[in-house]
Amino acid sequence: MKILYIDTSTNYLYTGIVCDDKLLSEVKKKFDHDLSKYALYEISKMLEKCNLQPNDIDKIIVVNGPGSFTGIRIGMTIAKLYAFSLKKEIITISSLDAMRVSIKSSNIIVPIIDARRGYVYASVYKNNQVLIPDQYIKLDTLLQKLNDMKEEYIFVTNNKFNLANINSYNPDILTIVETYKNNKAINPHLIEPNYLKLTEAEENLQGISYDN
Amino acid sequence: MKDIYILGIESSCDETSFSIVKNGTEEIATVISSQIDIHKNYGGVVPEIASRAHIKNITFVLEECLEKANMTMEEIDAIAVTYGPGLIGSLLVGVEAAKTLAYLYNKPLVPVHHISGHIYANNLVKRLEFPLIALVISGGHTELIYMDKDYSFKKLGGTLDDAVGECYDKVGRVIDVEYPGGPIIDKMASIGKHTYDLPIPLNDDSYNFSFSGLKSAVINLVHNEKQRGNNIRKEDLAKSFQDVVVDVLTKKTMHALKEYNVKNLILAGGVAANKGIRNKFQELCEENKINYTFPSIKYATDNAAMIASSGYYAFKLGRRADLTLNPLSTDELK
Repeated sequence: MKILYIDTSTNYLYTGIVCDDKLLSEVKKKFDHDLSKYALYEISKMLEKCNLQPNDIDKIIVVNGPGSFTGIRIGMTIAKLYAFSLKKEIITISSLDAMRVSIKSSNIIVPIIDARRGYVYASVYKNNQVLIPDQYIKLDTLLQKLNDMKEEYIFVTNNKFNLANINSYNPDILTIVETYKNNKAINPHLIEPNYLKLTEAEENLQGISYDN
Repeated sequence: MKDIYILGIESSCDETSFSIVKNGTEEIATVISSQIDIHKNYGGVVPEIASRAHIKNITFVLEECLEKANMTMEEIDAIAVTYGPGLIGSLLVGVEAAKTLAYLYNKPLVPVHHISGHIYANNLVKRLEFPLIALVISGGHTELIYMDKDYSFKKLGGTLDDAVGECYDKVGRVIDVEYPGGPIIDKMASIGKHTYDLPIPLNDDSYNFSFSGLKSAVINLVHNEKQRGNNIRKEDLAKSFQDVVVDVLTKKTMHALKEYNVKNLILAGGVAANKGIRNKFQELCEENKINYTFPSIKYATDNAAMIASSGYYAFKLGRRADLTLNPLSTDELK
């Protein structure tokens, strides 16, 4: 069983191929503005390096958000077309889940992604138990909630934050794939980004405000 | 000679479309998923909403296109995709999809400029005859282009500010008609009278256009009439506005045909569906013995058939992109 992992939800490309519990190859690269230019190219080179044809992949695990709207769509479009065209199984996972399972700690683990204007995408977990599920939240509000828990906590992120206890995110692609590979596969037509946030135009039209 | 089947992909604005065209002229199947009903709520296209809809629709549209054509990806000779200009987030979904298909099936990838697509929409009606002048008019473009052969584009002029379709939609908003205002104004103009005095924009010898002044003139006129307590006769305003637009478009286009001694004119782009504009050109072309082609309504607005048709000629010229093709929000036609 060969599994292709794709995460383009931030300005990094994280991709890898896992075969029978072993990591065959991986790419972890930062792209500031040209992720759309190189994501598929890098994936194709990685397969080539492993002497694999597109059809040799059995399953795709793709991160569907939250994160950069454009970034998410890059990996999702590739994965969606790939799974649909070659009839491969496809599973979507949360970028925040990928971040938290990549780190080993008995403390509270808080993956966060900068959502700008003082907001973040974040979740809070302890020993794989969810304390706060994935959400779009004001950083100040999140910090307040964490302090109320009165326990040690660590952040995981690949953004720059002026916070204590920051662990820079280095995806453990093998662990991520092993953790989620048996999730239920979805019809490729129906996989969708999980933006966790409406567009501004929709918020204005519906009078939604996130001031939590 | 072996038949060439091109799969076209278009996603530059608010239409997700796939099409298969044989030998550049014969449409095999086209599927268009329009988002117009979503964007109506906002009075115009919202880029992020458009991008979200594209990724939601993309595989459905591809599947339907292949089914309609009764073909498989293996039978396709090359994949042609709009790389720009357009909304960057929208373009990105189509370009990533095209690159992925090119990779998975090991097919040549052909980058197509959106405007060349609009021009080649006419090639699906009737094989283009050269030399020709193309007037491209849409929500995003207003350009006069000279072509002496396939894929040789010489831009004579273009808009310096708003595109003509954009101007129509903005005028539509001022007189409270639903988005997109263009087709409604065209209909209203057909029963109105030219009673309002509006300036002819950029009425010079160049091949450039300007529509922002005309738009402002309409806004001011409506404002002043309201201040005076007068009702706007919308049909008459629509007619007065459309007359000015038709006047400047036809004047510059006919001038170009004469100066370049060209006997073929094609209209292209969504605004080419405007009856007032079409009919005036028809009249002038008959008078001046010019061969005149305009696309049928389905080929005038954004669609992938025109991208596949244009892509065929680009393919034959050896134009190729690799897996690093990146969408461009602006780019000159070349």
